[in-house]
Amino acid sequence: MKKNIRKIPLIIFGIYFIIPIIGTFLYSTSTKWDNSILPKDFTLKWFLELFKDTAFIQAVARSFVLGLVTSMVILIIMIPTLILVRLYFPKVDRILQSIVLLPYAIPGVILVTALLGTYSMLSIPMFIVLVGALFITLLPITYLGINNQLKLINIGEMIDAASTLGASMVQIVTKIIIPNIRLGTTLVFLMVFSASFGEYMLTNLLIGGRFETIRIYMMRRMNENGHLASAVMILYFVFLLIVAIFVFIINNKQKKRYIEKSKIEEVNKQKLYGRKEDLENVFNS
Amino acid sequence: MKKKIGLLPLIIIMMAFLIIPLIIMVIKSFKLDGIEVFSLDNYKEFFANKYYYESFINSMIIGLFSAVLGFIGAYIISYSLLGLSFRTQEKIITISNLAGNFAGIPLAFSFIILLGNAGVLKMIIPLLKNFNLYSWWGLSLTYMYFQIPLGILFLYPSMREIKKEWKESADILGASNFYYWRKVVFPFLKPTMVSTFIILLANGIGTYETAYALTGSNINLLTIRISALVAGDVFAKPNMGSALATIFGAFMVIIMWLSQRYNRKEENLEKEY
Repeated sequence: MKKNIRKIPLIIFGIYFIIPIIGTFLYSTSTKWDNSILPKDFTLKWFLELFKDTAFIQAVARSFVLGLVTSMVILIIMIPTLILVRLYFPKVDRILQSIVLLPYAIPGVILVTALLGTYSMLSIPMFIVLVGALFITLLPITYLGINNQLKLINIGEMIDAASTLGASMVQIVTKIIIPNIRLGTTLVFLMVFSASFGEYMLTNLLIGGRFETIRIYMMRRMNENGHLASAVMILYFVFLLIVAIFVFIINNKQKKRYIEKSKIEEVNKQKLYGRKEDLENVFNS
Repeated sequence: MKKKIGLLPLIIIMMAFLIIPLIIMVIKSFKLDGIEVFSLDNYKEFFANKYYYESFINSMIIGLFSAVLGFIGAYIISYSLLGLSFRTQEKIITISNLAGNFAGIPLAFSFIILLGNAGVLKMIIPLLKNFNLYSWWGLSLTYMYFQIPLGILFLYPSMREIKKEWKESADILGASNFYYWRKVVFPFLKPTMVSTFIILLANGIGTYETAYALTGSNINLLTIRISALVAGDVFAKPNMGSALATIFGAFMVIIMWLSQRYNRKEENLEKEY
């Protein structure tokens, strides 16, 4: 009985969560929907129209490029840096821990103000500024994602062991670091990519209509044709759903690996202590 | 020395896209728009012009409102989650994060379809006929859609750390439910609760996309005011915008600092015991 009472909030939350999505879906598959519970017809014409719209295709392509460039820059810079910090600069790590939380405290609109004030007069392309801004706002995800990963595989011990055995730096990177952080890096990539793919405020305020990404396209369409706009949103939601499923799967894989590893360690420990006890018994007798 | 060079890329990016721009922003906030002379007028203007200080108050109200509701929601959901099997918990957390990502334009639009002036739910359910999506309640209802998942993201991992044994020991020692919560659970969760609430508050005040897509420029909110000042074509007053952003940023930093100091004080007290 008590268990069921505990489920009620979840059900309410579930309904609250799902209704807007169902609503958007029904809106995107009907020609007209005003005063009935369900729309009177079902059509896919908005989706077809969408795929014929070059502005839409271009917007997806732009978002894709933005997501890819941003996530590549972030991964290429942050992975080596965080490995370095973890190995040699524990003090820097403590400073980083509080700095990476800054984007939570400093909302995007402040960052935009600061960046526009600094770069709008310079001839640096705003796209670079946008990637930089995304780099900053995505720091918490990146830092936590990569760091959890490094903690999990205990990178320090691995590198120590490898260099004691005479592995070169290139070997360490290609044979040890890369295979070990592949899963976690994919995870961070997915999260960073989907976040910058669907970014609105920074893109809109820094570059604006000259660089129409998917959300800016949504916003424009929303005021022109609601049905078409909701078709975009449904496609976007499907994209998010796919990313979420991948994240879920990779997360589980990673956890399983970790559990297996800790089991092996546990067994080893027991063996070790077992022997120690045996020895102690021998000595005591 | 060689190793330190490896940190340079990150330091350069932080300098170029965060620290230096923030410093320039603060400096610009003390300059007049147009003639670029140093003065305090932008700040005086903030307190004198109803348009500006009202946007700050409005954002505070919606930020507090949505943070309180979002926090309560996140706590209840996390608590309910803990009664389920581990695998189900993981799945629901994934869905919750997904909901958080739907925030912004898609969220605003779906609420307009459902509850806007000609919203479908309004037609179906007479009770909702007078519900105004563009009011405080409407905005809060919409904000909850991403505030609750964000709250869960921070609260749930800590709540999972609460051990069943604690409750059992408390029961054996004859503690009431409330006493157990007040003396065991609450002290344990307090630091997380404080920081979660601050993050929700910052997020609620700092929300731009959802608010803009929902109300356009109809509701005078701080984020919308700042963005219009710095990126608007007609009414651009970048230095006034910088002043508003500086006030906003200073406010956030002070709150963060106070909450961290509070948490640290508590920690020290515990150590003394």
